[in-house]
Amino acid sequence: MARDVVELKELPDVSKVLVKALTGAVTKKGRRAELPNRSYLMTSHEQDVARLAEYCRVTGFTLRDEVPATWLHVQTFPMQAALMAEDAFPFSLAGLVHVTNTMTLHRPVKVGEKLRMLVRAENLQPHAKGGTFDMVGEIHAGDELVWSGSSNYLASGAKVAGEPGEPVRLQAPEVAPSQQWRLPPDLGRQYAKVSGDSNPIHLYPLTAKVFGFPRPIIHGMWTHAKALSSLGALPEAYEVKVQFAKPILLPGKVGFAAAEGQDGGWGFAVVNKAGKPHLVGELGPAAS
Amino acid sequence: MNPRNAVVVGGNRTPFVKAGGKYAMASAQDLLTAALDGLIARFGLAGQQVDEVVAGAVLKHTRDFNLTREAVLGSSLSNHTPACDLQQACGTGLEAVVYVANKIKLGQADVGIAGGVDSASDAPIVVTEPLRKALLALSRARSLPQKLSALGKIRPADLMPVPPAVVEPRTGLSMGESQAMTTKKWAVTREEQDQLAYESHQKLAKAWDEGFFDDLVTPYLKVAKDGILRPETTMEALGKLRTVFGKDDPTMTAGNSTALSDGAALVLLAEEEHARAKGWPVLAKVIDAQVAASDYVTGSEDLLMAPARAIPELLKRNNLSLQDFDYYEFHEAFASTVLATLKSLEGQGLSAVDRDKVNVKGSSLAAGHPFAATGGRIVASLAKMLADKGPGSRGLISICAAGGQGVVAILEA
Repeated sequence: MARDVVELKELPDVSKVLVKALTGAVTKKGRRAELPNRSYLMTSHEQDVARLAEYCRVTGFTLRDEVPATWLHVQTFPMQAALMAEDAFPFSLAGLVHVTNTMTLHRPVKVGEKLRMLVRAENLQPHAKGGTFDMVGEIHAGDELVWSGSSNYLASGAKVAGEPGEPVRLQAPEVAPSQQWRLPPDLGRQYAKVSGDSNPIHLYPLTAKVFGFPRPIIHGMWTHAKALSSLGALPEAYEVKVQFAKPILLPGKVGFAAAEGQDGGWGFAVVNKAGKPHLVGELGPAAS
Repeated sequence: MNPRNAVVVGGNRTPFVKAGGKYAMASAQDLLTAALDGLIARFGLAGQQVDEVVAGAVLKHTRDFNLTREAVLGSSLSNHTPACDLQQACGTGLEAVVYVANKIKLGQADVGIAGGVDSASDAPIVVTEPLRKALLALSRARSLPQKLSALGKIRPADLMPVPPAVVEPRTGLSMGESQAMTTKKWAVTREEQDQLAYESHQKLAKAWDEGFFDDLVTPYLKVAKDGILRPETTMEALGKLRTVFGKDDPTMTAGNSTALSDGAALVLLAEEEHARAKGWPVLAKVIDAQVAASDYVTGSEDLLMAPARAIPELLKRNNLSLQDFDYYEFHEAFASTVLATLKSLEGQGLSAVDRDKVNVKGSSLAAGHPFAATGGRIVASLAKMLADKGPGSRGLISICAAGGQGVVAILEA
């Protein structure tokens, strides 16, 4: 199936896009879901060192020439948001829940490399609570595929034909947490600044309440990044899968547990005081 | 028992850049980890345990109390690699090399990494003393009146942050002001200083062009080359710069003084047989080292000329004369530091140093001087030059440091 490719000259302004994507709730309700047959492409994206430095500071990474895989996801985020804000996009961002994320770093990527980024939405599936779909991203440096990622979202209440399949569940490692993270009340605002994701549920108690949260919650992709940075030295190439089980309210205190597997792989989890997971993840060799 | 030799296997540093420039967003820990990453990659050390990593920083946050160990944990070295922070102002990098070399010679280590980092961009800013005392009182206070009383002692002026001062605590003089006194005392002319600065840029530029640094430097944050280097500068251009230190007849300018810089440099050292067994290059042996200090507080001696006390002691112990070297590395804190130190050595009856053998690949005036990183830069470069020159060739390193201190060392291929 040929896709309609929209080439962007510069990254969309996420704050404007978000307003549209969030308010879409009013107009988009009740429509029969169908994903737009469209990709967004940016042919030459230059990475911003100052932004990377701030990203690393907020997420716990060392600022090095080789960038974190989660940073590459962040590079594609404005394009994802713009795609989701399109009139043709069937769901409002306000009703979406980030369920799982899988990304592969195919080789180390340097901050000086210019990136060709492509995003699209695909794989609409029925779910017990609505429908799910994947926001897929690919990053090339030159002709080489260096990063690929897929964020699986649940659109509650969406009408998708068919029988729901069994949801995938990752297993948390059976070890006690070895780290404690203290998340300050403004962490959502800090991460919003470096990621461009200024969804109001992450910012202030008041803006979070509007969307039904008692307090702001931290971005799932912050928790994902922080978990990766907390593992220490990572392999040159890897695949990492995470499942977002339960939001973390700000301010908050959580535990981090990790167990080394074979091939230098890891199983890890971010857990609450009772040991229940907020996030479960697995890191292993990159599938070629 | 056969004597154990400590040898320089290689080195790695980031390009050095002006403070507040391209590395303004990088912390000292980021920079040190970057230098370590490059060294690990160069010598295939990923996943391996090194006996000890020793480094330091002159401008250091309290949060960096374990700076070097944190850099190790962030690197791909085995987490079983221990680390130690060491600090002796601008002598830090060379002192770290001496520390590791001594452990290797004593049999306490086979492989070690030594060096340092400084980021004048990441300098710690602290609170004023009255504010610190008030905050301590506040944290002790139990009742509301006690708390209010503690808060009430804070005056608006106390709230201003205190940037780090680059002055000697005992003289109140900046290093440049102290050096201006030395420059005058030793009658070092503006032209001599500008000439040294000019040659430093010429020689460093040539070394870069020849690829000398290809296996000594790893690019960082889109920077591939030292940022302070000005290959196009001329004597005329240097001669036009206005003077910045000293009062009557000042001669010191921003051109013949080092700039505040950011960067990190590390050296890989190993016991000689161990290095050979690993198939590593054996560039040069660390033969001996000496520290000395000058009595500068009351003005009877010079702040930055302690190496002139250390060098004669080092030569005597090793039965060498000042001519017995193929290369000399005199750290260019200021052009006049090098020139006054040479005059002092000659004045002590040691015969003159052949200027063509001094800082042949350029030095701090052109490369920049991230305080604790300078020792690692010099040791790695000199070891490589000696290896190129051939067995038996010898080099002398001299580094002056704040507090009237100096570290000197001998390397031999």
